Formats: sequence, structure tokens, C-alpha cells
Amino acid sequence: MTQAAQAVPETATLAAEPSGSRRRRGRTGYLLMLPATLWLLLFFVVPFYSLVATSLFDASGSDFRGYEMTYAWGNYVDVVEAYWQPFLRSLWYAALATGICLVLGYVLAYAIAFKAGRWKWLLLVLVIAPFFTSFLVRTLSWQLILSDEGFVVDALQFLRVLGPDDRLLATPVAVVAGLAYNFLPFMVLPLFASLDKIDPRLVEASSDLYAHPFVGFWKVTWPLSLPGVVSGTLLTFIPAAGDYINAEFLGSTNQRVIGNVIQGQFIDANNSPVAAALSVLLMVLIVAMVLVYVRRAGTEELL
Amino acid sequence: MAPDDQAPARRSTLSRRGLLRGGGAVAAAGLSVAALKLPFFSVAGAAQDPASCRATDLSERERRLVISNWTGYIDPRRNPRGTYNTFQDTTGITVEYNDDVNDNAEFYAKVRNQLGSCEPIDRDMIVLTDWMAARMIGLGWIQPLERERVPRLHENLIDSLRDKAWDPDRTYSAPWQSGLTGIAYNAAYVDEVGSFSELLTRSDLKGRITLLTEMRDTMGFMLKVVGAEPEDFTEDEWYDAIDALNRAVSDGQLRQFAGNNYLQQLANGDIVACEAWSGDVIQAQYDNPDIKFVVPEEGLSLWSDNMLVPNLATHQANAEAWIDYYYEPEVAARLAAWVNYICPVEGAREAMEQVDASLVDNPLIFPDEEFLADTWDFMPLDDRQSQQYEGDWSDATVG
Amino acid sequence: MPPSADTAATGAPAPAAPGPGSGAHDGPDGGLRLSSLTKRYANGFTAVHDLDLDVPRGSFIALLGPSGCGKTTTLRMVAGLEVPTSGRITLAGQDITDRRAHQRPVNTVFQNYALFPHLDIYENVAFGLRRRKVRDVESKVRAMLELVELDSQARKRPAQLSGGQQQRVALARALINEPEVLLLDEPLGALDLKLRRSMQIEIKRIQVEVGLTFMHVTHDQEEAMTMADTVAVMNGGVIEQLGAPAELYENPRSTFVANFLGQSNLIEGRVLSRSADVTTLDMHGITVSVPTARTHTDGEGGWIGIRPEKVLIGEEGADLDAPGNTVPGGVVSDVSFVGVSTQYLVRMPWGQELQVFSQNTGRTRMFTVGEKVELSWRPEYAFCLDINQDAAAGVDDGETR
Repeated sequence: MTQAAQAVPETATLAAEPSGSRRRRGRTGYLLMLPATLWLLLFFVVPFYSLVATSLFDASGSDFRGYEMTYAWGNYVDVVEAYWQPFLRSLWYAALATGICLVLGYVLAYAIAFKAGRWKWLLLVLVIAPFFTSFLVRTLSWQLILSDEGFVVDALQFLRVLGPDDRLLATPVAVVAGLAYNFLPFMVLPLFASLDKIDPRLVEASSDLYAHPFVGFWKVTWPLSLPGVVSGTLLTFIPAAGDYINAEFLGSTNQRVIGNVIQGQFIDANNSPVAAALSVLLMVLIVAMVLVYVRRAGTEELL
Repeated sequence: MAPDDQAPARRSTLSRRGLLRGGGAVAAAGLSVAALKLPFFSVAGAAQDPASCRATDLSERERRLVISNWTGYIDPRRNPRGTYNTFQDTTGITVEYNDDVNDNAEFYAKVRNQLGSCEPIDRDMIVLTDWMAARMIGLGWIQPLERERVPRLHENLIDSLRDKAWDPDRTYSAPWQSGLTGIAYNAAYVDEVGSFSELLTRSDLKGRITLLTEMRDTMGFMLKVVGAEPEDFTEDEWYDAIDALNRAVSDGQLRQFAGNNYLQQLANGDIVACEAWSGDVIQAQYDNPDIKFVVPEEGLSLWSDNMLVPNLATHQANAEAWIDYYYEPEVAARLAAWVNYICPVEGAREAMEQVDASLVDNPLIFPDEEFLADTWDFMPLDDRQSQQYEGDWSDATVG
Repeated sequence: MPPSADTAATGAPAPAAPGPGSGAHDGPDGGLRLSSLTKRYANGFTAVHDLDLDVPRGSFIALLGPSGCGKTTTLRMVAGLEVPTSGRITLAGQDITDRRAHQRPVNTVFQNYALFPHLDIYENVAFGLRRRKVRDVESKVRAMLELVELDSQARKRPAQLSGGQQQRVALARALINEPEVLLLDEPLGALDLKLRRSMQIEIKRIQVEVGLTFMHVTHDQEEAMTMADTVAVMNGGVIEQLGAPAELYENPRSTFVANFLGQSNLIEGRVLSRSADVTTLDMHGITVSVPTARTHTDGEGGWIGIRPEKVLIGEEGADLDAPGNTVPGGVVSDVSFVGVSTQYLVRMPWGQELQVFSQNTGRTRMFTVGEKVELSWRPEYAFCLDINQDAAAGVDDGETR
């Protein structure tokens, strides 16, 4: 691949974006689009462009010697080779957490939407309530809850779920639990929005048409809640895949995820090209997965 | 001195560190590099010449001073008779004191775009640990101090902190506080842990120890464990040490690399022993006498945090007045009585008898010669070495 | 087939229901039977009170009443969507009270249809068949879509259809299961007037064609009368009167029915004498007679009821065609010409305004406001109701369409 070939499509698509549509919209339309366009340019396009550029610097550069643009696509190969494990671990933990969130969140959202009656809005507020404290503080509190000498471990040891020397903190269980806890509201809210919109008469209609309540759920409620399921899983999976706080505070050294690697490369190892290549890769990977997922879920209208 | 929960030790209060530091490393990487150069071209080196990148000193006209230091690293500034207010009263200099240094690497990432392109960071003094001070001096980002304006520094600095390879004559730096890195354990749970190799191998400690996230502290011990000298080691020895570390990680002996609340975990029993900074341990001992500090058989790592005047600082003379003031033994003693780290000022021990007699014989504040005989320092690394070794370190700690 | 009742009026093959509680249809192929059905909600509101109703197989019954009268609750209890507080529901000889909705051979056409928005028309219609694992879904669905004339729309989603088409899908989706009873819950409420009229005829046609039992809930008296063999007028959780539409209209038994179904003039009277055939009453000094069979009160007084179109209007002293109840001394206070008829308000000497609808046959001239007129009606058209009932009951309710 030539250098020009790399640069051109990048800028071409960017330039085409604001004026892409052939429809006549008049000047007002463009004026109205201006703030958003500027915002995107300044806070997405420019940083992203420079992130991609950084990822192509010669990785052996340093602040002393500077960074040379060598179109070092090899950086991408190197980071995949070196860090495929934390990459997979991130995706795996995020997928597990998303699965747990989906099950718990669906039950919760279902109960709030259909069974809570006048408590509906109070319960919703309670779901959001943890957001009023900082993400970090919430995660640190989990450190205390899951502590080796804490009541959770004591209880589980008493019940023989855990052996006398087993622990929760600094295990994958704690990391996934922390992720699931922290991102549960992102799952519950879209699910609730979807479920709340479902006309209860549709459920009545299904049982009127000989569907056992379970069958009715599967054939009517579930498909109608799919937009909520898709947006909920996306809203949970995407930040969970990039999260490193839970791994840092609740995991051990063997549970470090790709966010930790990026942080370490950028801040500790001071290796911007590698950090940038990892970031771009993570982004591309997630976008690709989301596209495949949304397409397969048959809910393209969402995007 | 009465323990006060408002006076946490310098390195243990970094609870925001994780978030601030990473702060969405992705976004940070993008934004900060964006500020450099936009086009798809190379980025020049960040080295500067302090002689050409300096500002006119306004100290005479503007009696003020802007400092960035670590959190909880000074006696209470509210106290009208504390060292801080006394300095302002006697010199007439208004000090704008920020405790916004949470981590060396994070602070570096924060200022490197400005300092690397000879732009001001609007601070007259920053306090950073030896290796980071060395890096910044090497990059030419630090102004030399006027020798005659800091006479007490050269007079009173304790011997063990003189003759550092990266600043042999203390031309650029003045230690603010010093500290020791050793082992701490919780006597309520385990017997004494006498050495680093014990820490890494004893089965009753498995999964219940932490090591520090500072590379030079931890790798210094790992080098010792594999029989090398941190002060002078070869690349092979380095990789032996990294391998030993990787083994400890994969064996599950190690629970975490910790930079912050590791002593809280030590106190509540999640971990039973750890690599620890001396000042933190003294603080923790006020609340929990079971927590003990051990001088490991491998020795102690002695480090200091150094006051530096960055390029384009506009109040250098005021900063130098501050340095000279804190090298008065009496002032140094009052500071040491509060922060509990090693006092870098000769004569402060005698002055301490007036301040808090109970601390005079604390070897973690005033270590004697014998105590310091075992301390070592980490070899200075050149640019390529530091990049290589810090990369190795990052890989080992991140897994 | 149960014996045909002589009140059947619409020409449907199925018979109309007998009066409540007659218990005549308990046979093995009996229709729907509700006994002492009561629904009381947690907040103490009684929606349905001790209701008895027999619906013979193959008939078309309408539950008619204002909102809140308990008609929808009754329907939902039959569907199994609401649990009765007490009473039993029997269908085709089997007690289905404790069966859950999906276990009952009953299907519903919901208000606003409740079509499954994520399924196409074909799958909506096939839904019930698939749940029961019926074979030959394809041909059954095709046939049903043909019946409702939607065979060309099979692969569209409900949202792509017009209201009338959606209505027919809802009907098809329920009908295809050949339920013992088909329940229709205000099925035409969302359609405009013209479409509603044609759907009324359409549904009636389909009911005749498939021969199933239909139970239709509506607040539209015209709809009920057009479609149903039998109409049950409900008010306050009970059935006020049950019968063929013409019977209900011609011989209402309560002021509520008299007012809710069409319009009635109700004039206060006092019973003078009763004989086997005729009851004579004093109506503000004028003696009028009402057939005893149409007198639904035992008391001293009574509301003498006459439908506006049964009242003849003529010049004072004119020789009116009706040999019977003649009421002089009226003054025309309002005239509305509505084409097929002219509607008068006539103020009587005792102050009451009576409504008169006069067919525009061309044989009589139009009267103007202020003219003195004489009214008369044939005694056999009059009816007499309990004076203790509210003369205005059901007036406003009937207006809500």
C-alpha cells in the first residue's frame, strides 16, 4: 500500500460527510449543522486522525529523539502478537458481564415495567441512584465488600461454596461482578424503555391465542423488546470492553485487560505509538463486532 | 505527634490516581498528540536547552510562587504558625500551593507537550521522584538553581543524598523528602517476612502480597533477588529479574501491583505482606500496631522527591527562597514531624528534640549510618534503556 | 340446535337467547353460560354483579351499555383475562371458570386489534394455529385471508395496513381458530363512521358464514342492533334487559333502556284502572291507555313512554288518523328539518316538551314555531314504566359514540 493511498480515503470521507446528501436543504440546514460538525471535527475527527497518525510512528522513537512517521503498520502486527491475550480477556470479561447484565437487567426491567405499578418510577430512580456516586468510589466499595475478611467471603465459605483458602477479590469473578454491577443501569434503562412500550394487550392477545405464558413471552414480549436488548447489550458491552478500573481494583495481575495495557503503554512505558495502535485496534474491533451484531439481530434501524 | 487522619502519607492517598492517570488513556493519547503536530508527519524530539528556554525572573516585582507537590506532603497550611505560613510571613511571598502531583508518569504525560515545545506550564516549582527528575533534567526542561541563593541546601543536605549520578552537584534539584522502600507485614496474620525472596516464595503468603507499581523500587529488589546489583546491572541480569517477576505473577504468589491503598488492604487482612514505603507504614502504625516495617535482607531502596524549577518559570528566585527556607533544620524538623518521611536536612534531628522528642530515634525518619549502609539506588538509565525497560515492566505488570 | 325464539328479527340462522335464567340450554352442545358471575376489584368497585346469561351456540349477542357498565369486564372474564370474584362460566357443557386464557376455546378481537407488530399478516393469522400445533396451517391461513379479502397483503406488517384492513386481520386471527365463542371488544371503535357501517355488515356476513357464537361488546346502540340477534343492555354491572333488538326498542322495560336505545318521550301518569288487556292512566288530565303487556309497573303511577316517530302531529282539532290517545294543547317550540323527517319539539300544557319525528311523506304540511298543534299516538305503541326510575337514565350515556 502506498502512503498516498492511505491518506486519501481518510480525508475524502471526512470531507464528504457534511455535504454528502444530494437533497437540497437550503442554507439554514447547513447553518444548523455547523455546531455539531465543528464539534465532531474538533473532538472526534482531529483526535482520531492524530491517534491513527501516532499509531504509525516508528515505535522505537522516544521523547528525546522524537517520533518518525514511518507508516509502521508493523505496529499493529506487533501489538496483536504481544497483547492478544489481554485483548481476548477484555472481550471475554465484557461478554460475560453483558450476559449477566442481560439476565439480571431483563428480570429487573420486566418487573419494573409490568409489575411495579405505582412504584415504577421510584424503582427506576433506585436503578440510577448508584450513578450519583463516582464510578471509582463504587468500585472501591466493592473491594471492601469482596474483601477476604468480609462477610460475603465468610458467608460463602460457611456455605462451602468457597474453600477456606479461596477468595473473591483479585479473581476473575470479582472483575466480572464489578463490571456487571457498574454497567447494569446501562442495560436496565433501554430494556425498560422497550418493555414499557409494549402494549400489555399484545401479551393478552398471545394467551388468548393459546400461547402458554412462557411461549407468549418468547414469541411476543421478547421479540418486541429486542431493540432494548440490542441497545442495552451494546451500551454495556462497549464500555465494559474498554474498562480497566474494575480489572485494576478488583482483579489481580492475571486479570489485567486491554485498558490496563493501553494505560501502561501510554503513561508508564511512554510508548505512544503502541498505545495508539492498541486504541485504534480496540476501536475497530468493537465497531466491527457491533456492526455484525446489529446486522444479525436484525435491528439496523437502531444505528 | 498525634496521628491525624487528615495527614495521610504522601503516596497512600492516591485514590484518584487510577482514574486521573488513565483518564481514558485512549482519549488522552489522542488529544495530547493532537496538540503536537497535525499533519501526517513526524514529531520532533522533546529535548530543550534550559539556557535558551528561560523566562525573565519577575520575583522582585511579583512576590508570588506557584508550586505543584504530592498530596498530603506538607504540614497543615491552615496552621498560622506552620512552616507554610511562616514562610509567607517572613518573606512576603504569596505561595500558590497545589497538591496535584499524583504519579510521576501521569504528571509527565500532563506537561510533556508544553515543556517539550518550550511552552510555560505556569508553575515555578514541581516535585518529582529521582528518576523522573533525572529524565526531565536530561530533556533540558529544568532550570539550574543559583548556587548562592540556596546556601543551606549545599550546607545541610545529608550525605546519603549527595553525589547522585543524574545531578552530582545538586545543580538542578533539591530533595523535598526522602523515603525508604522495604517490606511491611501484618503481624496479626503472619510471622515476620525477613527478605524479598521470602516474600516471593513463602507459601503462607501466596496470593496475599502486593508489590509497588514504581518500577525502580520493585525491580531493584528483583535484581537483588536474582543476585544482581540495582546500581549496576547488565541486560541479562535485567531479564533474569523480569523472569523472576513473571514467575511470581504466574504462580499467583502476587495479588496485585499497588500504588495506592495497599496499606488499607494490609490492615484489613486482604493482603498480609507487601513491598511498602516507609512513611506510609509509620502512618498506618498509628492505627494498627500489628503493621510492621522490615528492613529486608536485600537492603532498602532509598529515594527522594525533588524540588525542580521548570523552564519558563517566572519566579525562580522565590522558588529558591522556598528551598533555602526548608533547609533550615528547625523548619525541616517541623515538616518531618508531620509527614513522617526521611528528613534530608542535616541538623534536623537535633531540632526535632524541640518539636517531637518521640521521633528523634525513629530510624525511618532519621536513619543512622548503619541503617543507611544497606540502601541502594537504581542505576541511571539512558533513553533507550529506559524505554526498553519501562516497556518490559509495563508488560510484566499488565500481564 | 335449540328451539328458535319468536323474537328473532334479523334473519340470522341462529336463534336469539331466551330471557336470563331460563336455563333452557344445558345440553352437551350448549353455548356459553354465565351463572351468578361477579367481579369485585381490590378497591371495592363492583364491575359485574351477580350476572346470569345464556348464549346459545351459533348466536350473535351484543353486550350494550355505557362505559363502566361492566360489559368489557364480562367479556374479559369469558376470555380468561380477568378472574371472576365468584360465579361460574360454562362453555359447551364444560366449566371453564378455572382455566387460564390459553386453555379456553375462546378468541378475542381486541379493541385497537392488538396485532403483533413484529409479525406479518400471515404470521399474525397463523399464530393460534401454530400454538396449537394444528396441521395444514398454510391452506387454513390462505382460506381465512381470502374470507377477509386480505390474501394479497399476507406478507405486510400490520403497520402498513389501513385501520379497516387491520380490523379484518384481527378478525381473521381470531376466527381461524374456530373458537366456541368469538369475543369482539369494541372492534369498530377506531374506525370512521362509513367504514364502521360496512364492517358491521361484513362481520355479520362472516358470522352467518362460519356459524360461530359471537359475543360483541359495544356502547353503540345502532351497531348492537344492526349486528346482533340478541342484545343485552347492561348498566351498573347488571343486565337491564335482554332480547332481540326490535323487542328492546319497541318494548323497553326500564327508563334506562328506553333512553339508551333510541329516544323516548316519558310522560308522568297515574294508573286509573287495569284490565287483562289495557291499563288506563291519567296523563295530566288526559286519559290514555297502554296495553297491559307493555306495562312494566305495579305501582300507582307510571312513566307513559312513546317513541318520537310514533307520535302524530296535526292542526288543532284536526281529525288524526290515530284512534286512541289524543293530546291537545301543544305549541311548537322548535323545528328541525333533517330531510327524511322533520323533528319537532312541542311544549305541552303541563310544561313538558315532547319530541315528534314526522316523516316527510308530503301528505302533511310543516308546522312552524308557535303554532298550536294536537298530538296523538296509537295505544299499542305506548309503554308504561316504573315511576320510581329516573326519567333521564341513560340519556347522556346514549349520546356518547
